[in-house]
Amino acid sequence: MKKRGIGVGLSFYGTGYGNGFPDISRAIVRLLPGGRIGIYCGVTEVGQGAKTAMIQIGAETLGVTEKDIDLIHEDTSLMPDSGTAAATRQTYNTGNAIKVACQNMREKLFEKAKVELGLNSTAGLALEKGEVVLSFFPQKRISFKRLSEIYKDETIEAEGEFVAQTTTMDPDTGQGAPYWPYTFNACAVEVEVDMNTGIVNLLRAVFAQDAGRAVNPHLLEGQMDGGFAMALGYTLFEDLKLENGVIKNNRFSKYLIPTAMDMIDVENIIIEDPENTAPYGAKGIGEPVMIPIAPAILNAIYNAIGIRITELPVTPEKLMKAIREAEVNN
Amino acid sequence: MVNINFTVNGKPYEISIDENMRLIDVLRDELGLIGTKEGCGEGECGACTIIMDGETVNSCLVMGFQADGSNIVTIEGLEKDGQLHPVQRAYMEAGAVQCGFCIPGMVLSTKALLDKNPSPSDEEIREGISGNLCRCTGYNKMLIATKKAIEYMKGE
Ligand code: FES
Ligand code: FES
Repeated sequence: MKKRGIGVGLSFYGTGYGNGFPDISRAIVRLLPGGRIGIYCGVTEVGQGAKTAMIQIGAETLGVTEKDIDLIHEDTSLMPDSGTAAATRQTYNTGNAIKVACQNMREKLFEKAKVELGLNSTAGLALEKGEVVLSFFPQKRISFKRLSEIYKDETIEAEGEFVAQTTTMDPDTGQGAPYWPYTFNACAVEVEVDMNTGIVNLLRAVFAQDAGRAVNPHLLEGQMDGGFAMALGYTLFEDLKLENGVIKNNRFSKYLIPTAMDMIDVENIIIEDPENTAPYGAKGIGEPVMIPIAPAILNAIYNAIGIRITELPVTPEKLMKAIREAEVNN
Repeated sequence: MVNINFTVNGKPYEISIDENMRLIDVLRDELGLIGTKEGCGEGECGACTIIMDGETVNSCLVMGFQADGSNIVTIEGLEKDGQLHPVQRAYMEAGAVQCGFCIPGMVLSTKALLDKNPSPSDEEIREGISGNLCRCTGYNKMLIATKKAIEYMKGE
């Protein structure tokens, strides 16, 4: 016999190192030959899309396209450190540092343009498609390329730094506000529980994630799918067997992770509610996308068969045992 | 040592290898084709997938000498005249690539699937790539990529 149920999981997640720990990102922006923009930043790309998102933030701030930017990263002999690609912190923290560096770069470019265009001040200057333009008299304009030629013996560059604001919790009471900002999400799933085998099958899933602003919706969906799949694995089958610090099942034949056949289509919903301390409102979502899935699945199992599971993973053996126990107790 | 003759990505090779060498090591260490990745080394993850005489195999489970006389395609062999294969292009455009480690194998499995079955159902696509583990993407963008690739291949 198979029984169906629906469950919902909600989470909120504090991004960054938190708890007053120093959380600093830095970036340098440089005008390169040919008028290209170099962003030197210790941001690490591990597949999450940091490189794309950082270039997008830089392009937005400097009024150029993504193709006009070279991101030079992952080598702290060439660039300042931006902390780890961890704690869901790169988009918010390093994105902010890049935005600040690019804003400072605007001022540098305005100063040079003022001199070259023979202007009285930098007031009214704007950046537009790789040019500095006097907004009320656009005939006065000079391209980044021209500036790079004129100043080829001088480095035009600017730095930016972002220090996240977090406070320490009270060590006695454990109370306080250790993180900033938070990100929110909700997941609903429908499952089918096979009462004879203990196998839980996912039938449907809807997943909503608050991103502040989605810098790149496509990549964001990829993170949501990935987080969902990873959480599905850890809810239903991933069971790391440790003995005296040694992993006993360090084989993919003994430690199962989801395959394409275990995964289902997830209806992803991106919620945009811009965070005012964030670069263009964008918050990180890397880790939180994993969190509400397990509670949603467990609630759905409860809704289907009336049994509360409190230990992961919910393997068929464990679920069968719980079903038998419930039968005996009734 | 044994001598083997085989074709890799359209190029004939005659090389002498150690009998104990696995095919993945022949490809990576002898031919320098490092697009083929080793994940588990025991046939579970599919990162080392190659196409051998039209079938996908885990090159970590094949001995080098068994490749004698075979025709092999690795990820390096998909590009033609500087143009990405439709499956590669579709993967890129669909955002189906995150860390990238599974991708060479995944792309080859997708290609092999479409070579045999040019219009697979969702279930058939999932099954076709189920021998390739991916920890990053949750596979769904790969389904979208595969459907895009089907369209591109129809247009060719
Ligand atoms: S490396 Fe060959 S299957 Fe994993
Ligand atoms: S993209 Fe990272 S394992 Fe597939």
